[in-house]
Amino acid sequence: MILEDNGFILMQSIVVPAAFSVVALALGKRLRAKTGWIAFIALLYSSILLGYSQWLLFSVPELEAIQASYTWLPDISLPFGSLSLGNFTLRADGLSAPIVLIIAILCTLISIYSIKYMEHEHALGQYFSLYLLYASGMIGTVLVTNLAAFFLFFELMLIPSWALIGVWGTGLREKIAFKYFMFTEAGALSLLAGIVATSFIAKTFDIFEISQGMTGVAIGVQVALVVVMLLGLFVKMAIFPLHTWLPDAHAEAPTPISALLSPAMIGIGGYAVIRIVYTGFPEVVAAQTPQFMLILSFLALITMTYGGYMALAQDDIKRLLAFSSISQMGYMLFGIASVSTIGVVGAVLLYVSHGLSKAVLFMVSGVLIHDFKTRSVRELGGLGPKMPYTAVATLIGFLGLMGFPYIIGFWAELYVFTGSMYTALQGFSHLIEPNAIRVLITALAIVASVLTASYGLWTVRRVFYGQPTERTRDAKEGSMIMLVPIMVLAALALILGIYPSLVATGTTRFISELLSKLVLVV
Amino acid sequence: MQLAITPTGIETLPAWLAWLFPMIGALLTPIFAKINPKVRNYGAILFSFLAALMTMMLIPLLFAVEELPKWEILHWIELGEFPVLSEINFGVLVDPLSIIMANVVAVISFLIMVYSLGYMKGDKSLTRYWFFMNFFIGNMLLLVLSENFIQFLFGWEGVGLCSYGLIGFWYKDAKEDYNKCWVGEPPEAYPPSHCGMKAFITTRIGDISLLLGILIIVAFTGTLSFMELMEGVEHLPHEFMWVLVPAAILLFGGPIGKSAQLPLMEWLPDAMAGPTTVSALIHAATMVKAGVYLVGRVFPIMYVASMFYPEMGSFFYVIAWIGVITAFVAGTQAVASNEIKKVLAYSTVSQLGYMMLALGVAGTTLEFIVGYTAGVFHVMSHAIFKAALFLAAGAVIHAVESRFLHHMGGIRKEMPITFWSMVITAFSLMGVPIIFSGFWSKDLILESTLLAGQPIMFTLAAITAAITAFYSVRMLSLTFMGKKSKHIHELEHEGHHIHESPKVMWVPYSLLAAATLIFGVLGFGGFGGWLEHTFEDYLSKLPGMEHSAMTLAPAEATMSHELAVLITIGASLTVLAIGAFTAYRIYIKRSPDPVKLVNSRPTLKSLWTFLYRRWYANAFSYKVFVYPTISFSKWALKYIELGGIDRFNYVVADAAKGFSSRFRRTHTGILNYNILGIIVGFILLMTIMYVVLVG
Repeated sequence: MILEDNGFILMQSIVVPAAFSVVALALGKRLRAKTGWIAFIALLYSSILLGYSQWLLFSVPELEAIQASYTWLPDISLPFGSLSLGNFTLRADGLSAPIVLIIAILCTLISIYSIKYMEHEHALGQYFSLYLLYASGMIGTVLVTNLAAFFLFFELMLIPSWALIGVWGTGLREKIAFKYFMFTEAGALSLLAGIVATSFIAKTFDIFEISQGMTGVAIGVQVALVVVMLLGLFVKMAIFPLHTWLPDAHAEAPTPISALLSPAMIGIGGYAVIRIVYTGFPEVVAAQTPQFMLILSFLALITMTYGGYMALAQDDIKRLLAFSSISQMGYMLFGIASVSTIGVVGAVLLYVSHGLSKAVLFMVSGVLIHDFKTRSVRELGGLGPKMPYTAVATLIGFLGLMGFPYIIGFWAELYVFTGSMYTALQGFSHLIEPNAIRVLITALAIVASVLTASYGLWTVRRVFYGQPTERTRDAKEGSMIMLVPIMVLAALALILGIYPSLVATGTTRFISELLSKLVLVV
Repeated sequence: MQLAITPTGIETLPAWLAWLFPMIGALLTPIFAKINPKVRNYGAILFSFLAALMTMMLIPLLFAVEELPKWEILHWIELGEFPVLSEINFGVLVDPLSIIMANVVAVISFLIMVYSLGYMKGDKSLTRYWFFMNFFIGNMLLLVLSENFIQFLFGWEGVGLCSYGLIGFWYKDAKEDYNKCWVGEPPEAYPPSHCGMKAFITTRIGDISLLLGILIIVAFTGTLSFMELMEGVEHLPHEFMWVLVPAAILLFGGPIGKSAQLPLMEWLPDAMAGPTTVSALIHAATMVKAGVYLVGRVFPIMYVASMFYPEMGSFFYVIAWIGVITAFVAGTQAVASNEIKKVLAYSTVSQLGYMMLALGVAGTTLEFIVGYTAGVFHVMSHAIFKAALFLAAGAVIHAVESRFLHHMGGIRKEMPITFWSMVITAFSLMGVPIIFSGFWSKDLILESTLLAGQPIMFTLAAITAAITAFYSVRMLSLTFMGKKSKHIHELEHEGHHIHESPKVMWVPYSLLAAATLIFGVLGFGGFGGWLEHTFEDYLSKLPGMEHSAMTLAPAEATMSHELAVLITIGASLTVLAIGAFTAYRIYIKRSPDPVKLVNSRPTLKSLWTFLYRRWYANAFSYKVFVYPTISFSKWALKYIELGGIDRFNYVVADAAKGFSSRFRRTHTGILNYNILGIIVGFILLMTIMYVVLVG
């Protein structure tokens, strides 16, 4: 059953933040840091709407999706035929609903956090205005199923974030922002090339219609299309070796923006891989090219290991977290490449868990930077007793990344690895044979998770244990307005850790449907 | 035979509440702390008491084995169309193993919580302490009573977290606390926070192996439930059976980490950096037994599998060999340790090795019941005497304000209760005959190795018993006998007089010492036999077990029971006498004097250093795993990340910049050049068109 979105729930969740960005801009001069409350209200509204749609998907078993279709541009006549951009369709289903909800929640809470963190900055009206546009872009990217619109939203999240880094960032911010822009824009253009080529071949822009349009198209062509699009998405996801923009951008962005870039934005690349590749190109996933997915797993393995090693070598706490994000994206891709229901659900759960944990950690790093004016782990120490809430939140964050039970991260990793191991040992239906190399890769991936534990616990030890340093001697607990959002996210990670079904139920239903279609393709 | 889930209702309720109460207690601790420190302290103890009460309510079920197992499940997570597994459940499983284990855990936990009142008095971070202690008890009971692997993992990792949090409890790592809470001496001295991290990461390496094992089992059997596995294993297609061998061995990786077996044993001695209560509860009596428990839990499953697929026996051989080698290695390390808690820690590792040995050899023989019972019995008796030993050691450390043996000595008059408790429990550890529980359980282990036809393992285990006697006497005498150390004289000079610990501390460990005697007497009265019967009655009716020796043919053991018992008793008395007497000569009579003895003989000296440096195993793991990982990551950052990939990006960017800046120079803006350019371009275009169209 597909529920028609007659109440414009999904549309509102995109438009309201975008509209309020104008309000924020207009009132910014007068309200200064308090503009953040405007952003908060707008985003809270979106979160409630999206939370409601996620609740519907969780509680109504037969509900497949909430969907709204709007006529968009008229068909364009070109010399060689007419080109239809198709309908502008917004869709919240088991895949997009949890992801978009997490994005909305993060944006909402981080807007409060920004109020305190950014209080001494200039031009806060512009800051919150761009912030809202950025949020709107992310929400739109996930909800929309029309690839043309997808690209527009993709750019809408790139440009404001570029400006946010370039204006309010630290260090060589203009240079870093430029690097960020060039990398992700190159990726976006690659994606655009893929989108345009796909639409020419399949005669549609809608993701859900591509597979039909692709019937009879040679598998080689399909693989090529997927590769071109994946290249673009991998830049966004920061898959090795396309990742070098990320540590710079995450480290030098203003911390609230880092807390959105890393947990919310880069994972959208992973989301898009599931959406576009699994939905649009089932043949590529399934039949002739199981090797293709094997290559993806291998890339994922390298990314997670490499990110882990790099994180281990960092002294700059934000860079450490940035490399840890790269590593986590490796896990997400690993789940996607597992070609099994559980593995792909695991990738979605990983998005959720990484979103919550990493946002907590980046916000904690912001508290530390705000209080001690340093990003160097070496200059911190002995903070545990002085900042107990921060310490607990950090521990929860890192435990979540490690895949510790009681936290949603456990389920994410368990699902990812179970799925991958199952496909490796038993194959997938008649499409993929059991494969020893896959078993080996999965085993290595599980082994690599020791690295996560190592850098996580080591950081906790260096920051919170031991003797206070000169900088931290007079440390006090951070301000409430920064701590409350952190606590809310940490609590959410725990609640979902004990009862993951809130997210997993709808997703599992959707993904198993998706994968059962895979079997029918060939 | 098929097992069905029986509607158990009220009978399993205590099993649910047993782990729920401490969890609730943990969550309430911060709230209680807001009211009043007293409310917080007694509240925490109340919840651990409730847990003990709940587990004790399960004991009557042990006398009605025919009604066991009882288990009850709730649906937890739907897995949809995942081919083999449609949901993950959450439940409790009540069988003799879980009842015994849960009681050991809950009762000892409660006593240690009471002791904590005295030991931790005045500590500033008691809220954290009580939280972690109760959370630990809850997780440990969850682990023990869990019905499937996933739920088990919750408890398993949960206790790991509490262990981490409590080892590093004294977070300051201050140099002033060197005598109190560091561990080891340079070059292997570590502060608490280091040890906590080491424990967590090392056990996690084992957990990875455990997880791999679980994943393989799920992929092939399609279930996570212990009981369903038990039921399904005999119906497993024969071509899948081979998978169970690597899966089971990988599964054993978890116990290797958690129960500190070789090669992952080095974290446990260093875990002694935590408060002594923590060492007693987590790193002696309960958490480290979780590994043994897991082996005991999967034992019947793997045993049935081994009847259909004999190669499965290698799983049991791996367990037995790792167990016995660990027992020996750790025992020797205990001999050369200078810290009272570290001696006890090595001893714990060594005893855990014994338990593994018992369960391992049990699986290789038709008469597995002796070994299985021996393993579980030793879990019980070791939990009791080792908890008491640690608590008493804690009292001593409290009194002399140092963890080093050479800071103690000659305090038996000042601390008589502690002294006698420690003597009783140490005798139990050594296996002094008749009225000490350790004697019965250890003898049963030795006997089971003989029954399994493993003379080498038997010999090694017997040698280890001699070593155990040696280090126990050494520890006792260095702590209580002889002259008072310089350190104590200094303390007395400053006005700190050594005195007996407060009642709240000595009552728990003297009770435990009494318990070890009670079980000793019970052992004399055939407690071991009763345990054997209970397990036999229970295990024989599990599905698949009807193929085992118990119900099939008469046992074809390698030797008769009576002979095995005789040899065992003879051997264990001999080694006890040798070990204890040697230590008595050296450390009590001081002839020869230990220091002179070691210094006078170069071979002894180097042996001593070898043992003191922990067989260089610890140094090795740092040199080979820890430091290279860090330096590799630094190297990769410098040469691959910054020097390679990122450099390459800038090279591309610079090349583009260079090209554009050169190309820009052609745009001079001088009219002549422009016109020249137009003409040249025109000619070029014409030529191309000519070639394309005409040629």
